[in-house]
Amino acid sequence: MADRATVDTPSATSTRPQLDAAAVTEFSRDRGESASLATWRARAATVLARTELPDRVRHLWRYTDPGKLLPGKLLAATTDSGAADVAIPDTPAVVLVPGQPPRLNAAAESCGLVIETMHGGGDVTEGLGRAVPGEHGYFEAMNAAAFDAGLVVRAPRNLDLAEPLRVVIPAIDGADVLPRLLVIAETSARLTVVEDHVGGDSGSVVIGVTEILVGANAEVRHVLVQRWENGVRGHLTQRAVLERDARFLGATTGLGGAMVKVDLGAVLAGPGARSELVGVTLPEHRQHLDHHTVHQHTSGRTWSNIDFKAAVTDRARSAYTGLIRIEKDAPGSEAFQENRNLLLSERARADTIPELEILTDDVSCSHGATAAPVDPEQLFYLASRGLPAAEALQLVVRGFVESTLCLMPADLREEIETLLESRLRRIGGAA
Amino acid sequence: MTANTNPALFTCRDVRVSVAGKEIVKGVDLEINAGEKHALMGPNGSGKSTLAAALMGHPAYEVSGEIRLRGEELSALEPDERARKGVFLGFQYPVAVPGVTVASFLRAALSARQGREVPVREFRLKMQESFDALDVPKDFAGRYLNDGFSGGEKKRLEIMQMLMLEPAVALLDETDSGLDIDALKVVSAGVNKASGPDTGILLVTHYQRILDHVQPDAVHVFMDGRIVRSGGPELARELEERGYDWLADATSTAATGG
Repeated sequence: MADRATVDTPSATSTRPQLDAAAVTEFSRDRGESASLATWRARAATVLARTELPDRVRHLWRYTDPGKLLPGKLLAATTDSGAADVAIPDTPAVVLVPGQPPRLNAAAESCGLVIETMHGGGDVTEGLGRAVPGEHGYFEAMNAAAFDAGLVVRAPRNLDLAEPLRVVIPAIDGADVLPRLLVIAETSARLTVVEDHVGGDSGSVVIGVTEILVGANAEVRHVLVQRWENGVRGHLTQRAVLERDARFLGATTGLGGAMVKVDLGAVLAGPGARSELVGVTLPEHRQHLDHHTVHQHTSGRTWSNIDFKAAVTDRARSAYTGLIRIEKDAPGSEAFQENRNLLLSERARADTIPELEILTDDVSCSHGATAAPVDPEQLFYLASRGLPAAEALQLVVRGFVESTLCLMPADLREEIETLLESRLRRIGGAA
Repeated sequence: MTANTNPALFTCRDVRVSVAGKEIVKGVDLEINAGEKHALMGPNGSGKSTLAAALMGHPAYEVSGEIRLRGEELSALEPDERARKGVFLGFQYPVAVPGVTVASFLRAALSARQGREVPVREFRLKMQESFDALDVPKDFAGRYLNDGFSGGEKKRLEIMQMLMLEPAVALLDETDSGLDIDALKVVSAGVNKASGPDTGILLVTHYQRILDHVQPDAVHVFMDGRIVRSGGPELARELEERGYDWLADATSTAATGG
């Protein structure tokens, strides 16, 4: 666990993996990437070199030590061993593994999306870094310079994708992966992307970035499934940028890993844009799962909502920080944020900081946060009807997350519930 | 009414209940035979609800004495174990469990009580039967348990659960409070329906009025943590006319009733 004495000091710089621009350029050339991407990476490397590890004093990093999420050796040219085992559905799917071309199934080939690797020599820098530039932060700069599994998914104008595209990103046993996704929905396109993080072990680190550009009147649903194996450490950043009348739904389930920070958000950049971020996390044992959400309203007449729930058992910890920022030029914005936490054991811990930064008048905002143990009267009521203690507790937790699950994509609801179910069944058991 | 040669259905011997170190129930003896309906009447604050919750096994209460169902000692059992053996508590203030539908809750409860996974179709029929018996609107099934329910709706749901779970003994804590006359009639009809030759009922109440609809076999007056007098239905009418104070005066140990 974290050494409390060092919590508020930056982690030792000596543990930072070294990366220079020349090595980045060589890595890019070895992969046959376009010259424009090599330049883009080299620039990110210079940004990384001057970027400190995140400052623990800032709310965003108050609860998690960035030093514990660092990968080992960057540009290790990892190739996977176990990723071939990943189960692929019949619906559109692609498996993303460093050093290999993305593996698309037949449905993905024919679904109408343009799906291409970032390492193939084509110019993929258009839009790259627009939602998550290297300047976003330390881990984002690292990813920009050194990502080793990059994929672009483009939904052409007016495409209406019937089935979700699943992007499976396996963590690799004993190694690091730096995946990068760029999802572009052109004007009036509609698509759903399931970003599925699986696998790994206690030697795995994943530093991922996902950028989502939602064009005018387009709609993107992004479902982030984090179900790494025990012991994985990771940092995932996702940002969507919404043009006029665009719609975005980000749905997250945070289940796996040992120490994980996930930074989710959307920038509402065009009038009429609507964004909703919903999430459920169920940390258990000694998991440390930290989620941050951001809704940044840069245009007026925009709407956003955040609903994030954590139910924490054993000695696990959830940290949640949420920011709503309404810029000066965004009158007529509405923004809502709610974070609720349920503590299921004496030693479980949930921290929450909801923040508002409102730089204009004429907005409608609300935010709320709660953290509380299960009401013993609820458990007594359920027990009085014959439900054993563990079953009663599971029912209360199911009820707790229900209103958030209701906001998740209906067609994926069954899959999400199944994922949560195996976790829920352990609640109240022999912990 | 059946003759009872076996041990009484439900018995309490010197039941004492302390909450946070303070004794609230100060020695209760009670015997309910199969087929009987008992009324436990007393002023507010006398400890009636504490007794009812303690008999169900509320974890926050310290309880001594004997509690037996068909001769079997229940005191060491968890509330869910008591429930599966056939004890039912109708709550004065049923607890809301947001996000859990009435139907999914009832199916879990029925499966627990019957000790088997009740198939969906069989459950649906049984639930509908119980809904019809109590004029419960169909949309109850999909609503979240007691969440946003009116007082009357909550009480109907309590009675409905009793009908579905078919307990051996039902402890109904102020099930009649906060009901208008129509709801009171429905709830009373439910209590009469649940009553039968194998069932015992303890109606815990502040008022006499439910006893216009449910005919008790015995009435107990409960004051300051004790049963201070027991009698037949006529005792309820006497309470209606005279209130509780005359009993407080008559029992030197009783505190002033509310």
